[in-house]
Amino acid sequence: MLKISNVTRRFGDKIAVDSVTLDIPQGQMVGIIGRSGAGKSTLLRMINRLADVSSGVIEYDGVQTSTLRGQALRNWQRDCAMIFQQFNLVPRLDVITNVMLGRLNGRNPLLNLLQLFTADEQLAALKALERLDIAQTATQWAQTLSGGQQQRVAIARALMQGPKLILADEPIASLDPRNAQIVMDSLRDINAEGITVITNLHTLDTARAYCERIVGMSAGKVVFDGTPDQLTTDVARTIYGADGLKEAFSEAMTSTAIAPLVAPTVRSMDATSTS
Amino acid sequence: MADMTSGERDLSPATGAIHRHYRQLLATRRLYSLIAVAGVAIVLVLALLFANEASSGKFIDRLPYLFDFIKNFVPDDPFEIVRAMFDLPSPYADGSFKYDYEVGRHYLFGTGFYIPEYFFEMLVTLNIAFASTLIGGLFAFFFCFLAASNLGVAGPLRWIVRRLFELMRAFPEIVLAGMMAAVLSLGPIAAIFAVSVHTVGALGKMFFEVVENADMKPDDGLRAVGANWFERVRFAIVPQVMPNFVSYFLLRTEINVRASTIIGAVGGGGIGEVFRQAIGRDHAAKTYAIVILLFLTIVAIDQLSGWLRRRLVGNAAFQFGA
Repeated sequence: MLKISNVTRRFGDKIAVDSVTLDIPQGQMVGIIGRSGAGKSTLLRMINRLADVSSGVIEYDGVQTSTLRGQALRNWQRDCAMIFQQFNLVPRLDVITNVMLGRLNGRNPLLNLLQLFTADEQLAALKALERLDIAQTATQWAQTLSGGQQQRVAIARALMQGPKLILADEPIASLDPRNAQIVMDSLRDINAEGITVITNLHTLDTARAYCERIVGMSAGKVVFDGTPDQLTTDVARTIYGADGLKEAFSEAMTSTAIAPLVAPTVRSMDATSTS
Repeated sequence: MADMTSGERDLSPATGAIHRHYRQLLATRRLYSLIAVAGVAIVLVLALLFANEASSGKFIDRLPYLFDFIKNFVPDDPFEIVRAMFDLPSPYADGSFKYDYEVGRHYLFGTGFYIPEYFFEMLVTLNIAFASTLIGGLFAFFFCFLAASNLGVAGPLRWIVRRLFELMRAFPEIVLAGMMAAVLSLGPIAAIFAVSVHTVGALGKMFFEVVENADMKPDDGLRAVGANWFERVRFAIVPQVMPNFVSYFLLRTEINVRASTIIGAVGGGGIGEVFRQAIGRDHAAKTYAIVILLFLTIVAIDQLSGWLRRRLVGNAAFQFGA
């Protein structure tokens, strides 16, 4: 159970995240939606502690993760894996090593620096890659892969960490619809194993198709928290603003809309919003 | 994810083959790494042994005497260093040159105000460094674009400019200064010439490499506008590379201050020359005064140029495309 209580983050005199309070039970698949600059990324980065909170508390299973330090902090970061929009792999390193880097925490540091991994770890990495259907790329440099493949390598690295939750910061914003669908399907499969998945999404339709719970953010505040069914056009308008609504439904950019299961709902909402 | 650490039998045959292939690659890579590390270690040991053989004194044998020079080379009292630095009269004056600090004064405006000898010589050295960095930097700036391979400069011209840069940085400043002293006689002009030539070669190479890393999209944009070569260089390339140029230029300034000091010792004038005289004649107080002055000046120059670099360039240095 992840508990976010009154968390605020300031950059100078700008407030990026404004007293956000959320309780996320273990195993939930949560989509956070909102316009660019709404504070979605900052919120995820504070959970993983890539950024610190200005005030407020984040707790996981009773442990206050927002104040952890040193090894305890690194252990928490291993437990909540992060996936990025730009993949953040090591470009000039082969794919299998990139995946094995997910295990850095908890191994002998000297072996890590000498890049010595055991056969078990190699097999585990290959298994993760196989699961994401890209095992054949294992010996290539990560930078030679396409965007969709790189994002799947990033997911494999996250799986290698043995995480309790996975945070995905706009995981499909740089991908074409086909790859976006593969990545979102993988996240859903992982979620089915009991791992909490919290993902920032730019577009509504993807969130509605994949997430059991949707959190809407606007100007740093949570303005909606509910199921996809509760997310009406009026609510979407408060999240995205009147002129941002079209962007939210734009399929060209970041949508997984080729997935047939979402088509009917989206189309009806699209019709109401553009009329 | 606990089941992920099981053996190869869980993998599909294709992935199993990939795993064996990966193990092979890994074994080869480790073998090469091992050979490389062993090779470097052997070469290093041989080089040090050879250097030790070529020296008249043996390093290990002489190690206990490391501080003997400092022990024997002491001024009569610590204030002698201050007197030597500011050309004040010495209580030990015996008519010899060793204690005659006042003779080096450089009087300005009649007899009331003077610049102490070593400060003046330091200025001579700094003057050499700044003048030659400016001259060298200017030539490097104008010619580096002809050496870059991404601006469509004709191959033969590029080849000639590159070889010229190489030739100019092939000789250390001290060799050039020695040659020039034979032509221009001793003094700062020979030193400026020497350091300038070396600077053109060294900065030219760094500059054209920066140019080659530049993003060519703005160049395409201006080419599509119908701009000629000079206009494209001026507007598509120069704004991008300027931060790195400034950075390298300031770095070169620091290097040239040191180079100008050394050149003094072979007749280039400046602080290096008086240092060589002082230490050669066993004038301890003067030597310490010069060493301290030199140290403070170089630290000050490094700090100043670092500060200037941050102010002028900020985080833009060594970053492209952002």
